[in-house]
Amino acid sequence: MTTAVMATLDPKSRAAARGMSDLAIRNLFIIPTIAFLIIFNVFPLIYSLGYSFTDFRASMNAPARFVGLANYRELLNDPFIWSNFVITAKYVIISVVGQVLVGFGVAMLLNRTIPFKGLITTLLLLPMMLSMAVVGLFWKLLYSPNFGIINHALGLGTFEWLSDPDMALYAVAIVDIWMWSPFVMLLSLAGLSAVPKHLYEAAAIDRAGPLYTFFRITLPLVAPILMIAIIFRTMEAFKTFDLAFVLSSQPTTEVISIRLYKMAFQQWQTGMSCALAYIMLIMVLAITNIYVKYLNKVKER
Amino acid sequence: MAAVRTSTERALNRLAIVCVLIVTLIFLAPIYWIASTAFKPRELATSVPPTVLFEPEITPFVKLFVRRSQLREPVAPEVYDEAPWWEKLVYDDGERLVRSGRTGEVQLSGYPDRFLNSLIVATISTILAVGMGTFTAYGFSRFKVKGESDLLFFILSTRMLPPIVVAIPMFLMYRAVGLNDTHAGLIILYTAFNLSFSVWLMKGFIDEIPREYEEAALVDGYTRMQAFFKIVLPEAATGIAATAVFCFITAWNEYAFALILTNREAQTAPPFIPSQVGSGLPDWTVIAAGTFLFLLPVAIFTFLLRNHLLRGMSFGAIRK
Amino acid sequence: MRMKWTGMLAGIGLALSCGTSALAQELTIFWAEWDPANYLQELVNEYEAETGVVVTVETTPWADFQTKAFTEFNARGSAYDLIVGDSQWLGAASEAGHYVDLTEFFNKHKLNEVMAPATVKYYAEYPSNSGKYWAIPAEGDAVGWSYRKDWFEDPKEKEAFQAKYGYELAVPKTFKELRDLAEFFHRPDENRYGIAIYTDNSYDALVMGVENAIFSYGGELGNYETYEVEGIINSDKNVAALEIYKELYKFTPPGWAKSFFVEDNQAITEGLAAMSMNYFAFFPALVNEATNPHAKNTGFFANPAGPDGDQFAALGGQGISIVSYSENQEEAMKFLEWFIRDDVQKRWAELGGYTCHAATLESAEFRNATPYNEAFYQTMFKVKDFWATPEYAELLQQANQRLYPFVTGDQGTAKETLDALAADWKATFEKYNR
Repeated sequence: MTTAVMATLDPKSRAAARGMSDLAIRNLFIIPTIAFLIIFNVFPLIYSLGYSFTDFRASMNAPARFVGLANYRELLNDPFIWSNFVITAKYVIISVVGQVLVGFGVAMLLNRTIPFKGLITTLLLLPMMLSMAVVGLFWKLLYSPNFGIINHALGLGTFEWLSDPDMALYAVAIVDIWMWSPFVMLLSLAGLSAVPKHLYEAAAIDRAGPLYTFFRITLPLVAPILMIAIIFRTMEAFKTFDLAFVLSSQPTTEVISIRLYKMAFQQWQTGMSCALAYIMLIMVLAITNIYVKYLNKVKER
Repeated sequence: MAAVRTSTERALNRLAIVCVLIVTLIFLAPIYWIASTAFKPRELATSVPPTVLFEPEITPFVKLFVRRSQLREPVAPEVYDEAPWWEKLVYDDGERLVRSGRTGEVQLSGYPDRFLNSLIVATISTILAVGMGTFTAYGFSRFKVKGESDLLFFILSTRMLPPIVVAIPMFLMYRAVGLNDTHAGLIILYTAFNLSFSVWLMKGFIDEIPREYEEAALVDGYTRMQAFFKIVLPEAATGIAATAVFCFITAWNEYAFALILTNREAQTAPPFIPSQVGSGLPDWTVIAAGTFLFLLPVAIFTFLLRNHLLRGMSFGAIRK
Repeated sequence: MRMKWTGMLAGIGLALSCGTSALAQELTIFWAEWDPANYLQELVNEYEAETGVVVTVETTPWADFQTKAFTEFNARGSAYDLIVGDSQWLGAASEAGHYVDLTEFFNKHKLNEVMAPATVKYYAEYPSNSGKYWAIPAEGDAVGWSYRKDWFEDPKEKEAFQAKYGYELAVPKTFKELRDLAEFFHRPDENRYGIAIYTDNSYDALVMGVENAIFSYGGELGNYETYEVEGIINSDKNVAALEIYKELYKFTPPGWAKSFFVEDNQAITEGLAAMSMNYFAFFPALVNEATNPHAKNTGFFANPAGPDGDQFAALGGQGISIVSYSENQEEAMKFLEWFIRDDVQKRWAELGGYTCHAATLESAEFRNATPYNEAFYQTMFKVKDFWATPEYAELLQQANQRLYPFVTGDQGTAKETLDALAADWKATFEKYNR
């Protein structure tokens, strides 16, 4: 690790002569963190990579037996696993699209002269700060077909939100949209407020229509920040566990994280679950990579 | 766009205000429902149609904290009369308190322990993550580091790992060293999880502190360390506070690790609260009371943080 | 200021981590969160009064009881000294060495005579007929039924029922009558529905429900000694049983595709359903007027018979075992000696526990103690259970995956469903060289 952090001293620094050298301070400040993250994040992943090639079961005392790529082969040929991925993809699309529509829409509304704007914005941000597992549980009551407030408020009678296998995924996604639209809204607001006013004035002088203004001025300028929001939410939605796990036990809402949890901690197929974890990890890292590239791009601006 | 000029603009603006108010009400309704259910009499929690106005009760909070059991036959009037007011509330709901065999003391439910565990784990892990994160952020901000962007990417990517993926090997490793179901085990994980976030956020804050301040101090004879502690840290205080609150909320809300790696001694509130379903009929008022107390600190923090939310949520990429 | 804070917190942390393990005279029992666990706490409080040993019953909700228990076992944790574990766990827990072998204890106290035969067979012994015991039957339980007496006894309803079905409206004796009654009382436009059954597929709810039909239809899940399943799980009897279970699903209240004991009890308390399947352990809430406004009008019956007169019910309930990672095994043994005493078992029943103690069960006192004890008594002598092999969790998952889409989603036929399940199970048993 030291080679990675070896670098020339800041030429302006004059502290080298007194106390610790800058190099020592820098290493002291950076290396522990890197080491900590390696021990508690990278090392466990190497450990589980090893297990992914075995038939190990943490529930049994039998030693792990090397099985090569058998776990990966079996997983990729299991139609139930594929359906878990399809469910996850569906969930990601529904919830991210919903969040962008609601979040961006509310941001457009808020980007006007609104009394108590600060207070309203803070109130709207409240849902995303709360615990998904704990609040998610409560939506069970809100969704209840017989005495839930949602059916009552919308006059839906005894509409089955969570127990209808086809509806359940949408019901979970709606909660996710409720919680995370504020996030998209927050980022969109930042993007919108950064659009220079003179562009709108120029458009007004040219008698450009609102649609034209929106598509030619607003959207292109907000797009980079909106993109951050979209990629970040895609990544989070792909990993989602808490909400769907607490809210629903339908097979139609069994996203890949839940499947992984069941495989690892209910059936104790440790080796197999390590393999599935790796398949998932590669996908997450791919999205993360795109995300960080975008983050740096926006940061540079 | 913000300027209101023509009458159509004014009308549009009024429409927008109405829409914003409606959206705000819809967004807050579930939170209101949790808070109000926490004060409802039990039968009103699941009434048809749902009850909006009612006389608030404190019974759910009493029940939240004590161990209870179904009354199998009505309580004797003389026993009832002698009971303190809070025990009467429990009797009124058709339940009785469970008492210790030897001392006759009222036994507490699992909730206070879990709440305390959440407090311990979130606080200590926040102090560690923000402490380490601030040093590291300073290191990255002020010194040239080879492969800086790769290292920062590595640090950020640890935050993006799905908890379940990390939890499987962690479970096995903790088993080997006896850290399952301990405060230390959870604190380490939450520190690791928040560390990357705190480095990224703090780097943004420290980048904004002009280097000239430190350089002036160095000229005055401060060492680099003294300059860091006496000049940089006070300047970064707001940033540190904001980062700390974010880390605290993340640790406070975390569910998956706590579900898998804690069982009893160190279990936190998030896996415990959904488990409050109870004996055959869920008592939503008690669940709501537990949820309400659990959400309250976060709601307060959100208001304190309101000016930093944007920054925190975008890992410091976007400033306000 | 900050230093003080950290110091204080560190202090609290230390006190918490040391506080509980300081005293040796303590035992912790792990169970699921439900009323019997509270009754057990009251029972063990008497043990504390007698011996000074503090016993705490720790609970976790049913939904994650199995996961929590096995996470703790597999973490080799010593948090729990004793565990009141599900009958299906015996195989997994004994083969992996999580439970202490109680065979000697069992034989010394002649527990196979003291406890009801079915409870010994299913809660204590593994493998079947091996004479090896891993648990002491503690809480007997099985699936029974509750119903609305006022609806059943309404003269107008009786008349209408007689006219439609040609026999008298009464508590069902067979699954055919159960179906007719469910159909008869199913009136969605009046917000009244026929029947509440288990459909949740997250643990064993749906499988339990289907088992009730299968066992009463004379079917079996497989041969528990030879692990044969082909032709047994997909037998004609089982196909007919699964079909009737699916038919019952048509008469459930809306939103019934994810229901377990909570929902089934609610079906009665909310006045939604005429009949509701549930474990006996959840019936106390139904006779309590504070939790069930229809308490006075709620009756109970045992699982009805199938077409050939077979009458069985799916087994719930648990035995109590000593965890082999416990540091207080001797103390735990002493506790078990106390627990099996005749007077303690009688007290256990009085407090609301479902004792498995044969003499107590048979006493008139017990059978008349509550409106459902008689049905419980009848049921406990005709119960059957799911597989108890170490890989039962996988078997359960496969059963859920196959049964659920058929029962709640109209996918495929009963025959196809069970054929597929037979193939799944066969493959699993082959995988583990059974």
